[in-house]
Amino acid sequence: MSRLIIMGGGVSGHTAATFARKWLGKDHEVVVVTPNSQWNWIPSNIWVGVGQMSKKDVTFPLAPVYKKAKIDYRQAKAVSIHPNGKADSDNSYITIEYTEEGKEGQTEELSYDYLINATGPKLNFGATPGLGEGANLGEHTVSVCTADHAEHASHELQKIFEKAKAGERQKILVGTGHGMCTCQGAAFEYIFNIEHEAKKAGVRDMVDIKWISNESFLGDFGMGGLHMKVGGYAVSSKLFAESLFAERNVDWIVGAHVSKVEAGNIHYELLDGSTGEESFDFSMLIPPFAGVGLKAFDKAGEDITDTIFAPNGFMKVDANYAAGAYENWKASDWPRTYQNPTYSNMFACGIAFAPPHIISKPMSSPNGTPINPTPPRTGMPSGIIGKAVAHSVCDLINKGESAHLHEASMAEMGAACVASAGKGVFNGTAAAMTVYPVVPDFEKYPGTGRDTDYTFGEIGLAGHWIKHILHHLFIYKAKLKPGWTLIPE
Amino acid sequence: MSIKNEEVNFGKSEQFNLTMIPGKFARSMRTCKIFQLFRFIVINIKMLVVVRKSH
Repeated sequence: MSRLIIMGGGVSGHTAATFARKWLGKDHEVVVVTPNSQWNWIPSNIWVGVGQMSKKDVTFPLAPVYKKAKIDYRQAKAVSIHPNGKADSDNSYITIEYTEEGKEGQTEELSYDYLINATGPKLNFGATPGLGEGANLGEHTVSVCTADHAEHASHELQKIFEKAKAGERQKILVGTGHGMCTCQGAAFEYIFNIEHEAKKAGVRDMVDIKWISNESFLGDFGMGGLHMKVGGYAVSSKLFAESLFAERNVDWIVGAHVSKVEAGNIHYELLDGSTGEESFDFSMLIPPFAGVGLKAFDKAGEDITDTIFAPNGFMKVDANYAAGAYENWKASDWPRTYQNPTYSNMFACGIAFAPPHIISKPMSSPNGTPINPTPPRTGMPSGIIGKAVAHSVCDLINKGESAHLHEASMAEMGAACVASAGKGVFNGTAAAMTVYPVVPDFEKYPGTGRDTDYTFGEIGLAGHWIKHILHHLFIYKAKLKPGWTLIPE
Repeated sequence: MSIKNEEVNFGKSEQFNLTMIPGKFARSMRTCKIFQLFRFIVINIKMLVVVRKSH
């Protein structure tokens, strides 16, 4: 009998756990450890953030789903990993601390045969003074990273609209809250949904909306942008992103590191080293991500965190962490099996694995401040990687240690993304995009790094219908309703 | 002289002036239900092809 523990119940972890349960016989255990009691379809949080959905629309309780699937569910956060066991035992184990009501703070050791780290990001608000403390959102800005944050954001936004209706001009600032953020796409969706709602509320002319991000150009999205064929031309995403901003009268500042947030004001530094300030009445700034802070210890209790985790807290996998300068980067730097190089029974998937480097061109100001997006791991790659890792672990359990590991390199997979620009069955729009591959391969596709036959983008009502349908489809799939495996990640 | 509202924004900033802004027809096609129904089918096919290549 083997035990597989998955730390994290988000898109990647939940995918890994549910497929592992399906593929492993009843002789083996599948355990999910997550501090959350609810599963959250994160892509729809932006609609909660503008009041177009409620928290209930984007979450559901995990316990009944895991009970139905016969997955052992522990509502707890993982604290440490002990891959070599302890003094009196060679069994690998993790320590967990319960967050479940009635058991808060209780700790337990869980032994494992295989471990999947799908803990996702620590929302590192504390990295920018004034943005927050540690992983906690501060009081000056809002967030759409969690359903709770998004609900709060919606209430604050309504206050802004009320003031605008009363004749007070309002200033809205949306973007990234640090020079090394990712998730520019989510901020993009939020700013245009705010703009759309402001128009619907009849206050658009009383609201100034501005974007600020760490991208060196609009349309980078943490992927170095993309090129698509439009009207017989191969076109950079920069052109279409800037076009949408101009069309919707949204000003922008790019190449910015937000260095400090105060009540109604931010300070920032630009790539040319100059500094500036922007005032705001309402602001949503994405925090930078870090690993959740797991520690690791050897048999003697010595700290071996650096062996397993990169300095940013994400778990090392089979990536090339010695790629060096940007000019030397290759698609093959990116991991394929997501297996930890030191402990072969340990894997990481979703946002939890340490990328070899960023995707966008690295940039910093003359002061040495890094100002460049970090790589996004959106829903589709996260789900595919989670499934591949689960498949590898199941094969190792069922076929033995020499089983072939399944591969899912982001340099060999595409992503389908839908970025909402406003919700409405008949007047909503969204940019529907495919990118192939996610991580550009300039050796295989010189010039653009991507196959432009499979990379495209288009904005319209159809995109909105697709995003809304995907909302329902993926929640259906996550609830393990009949036919759930037929819905691809 | 006809006012083309969609071109007004070119004058609002240097940034806006140097990009492209869709005209009235292009914008109306984004929410034209019949056209978007056709695009819905095409986009889904394109996405399914990419999803299939990725699994």
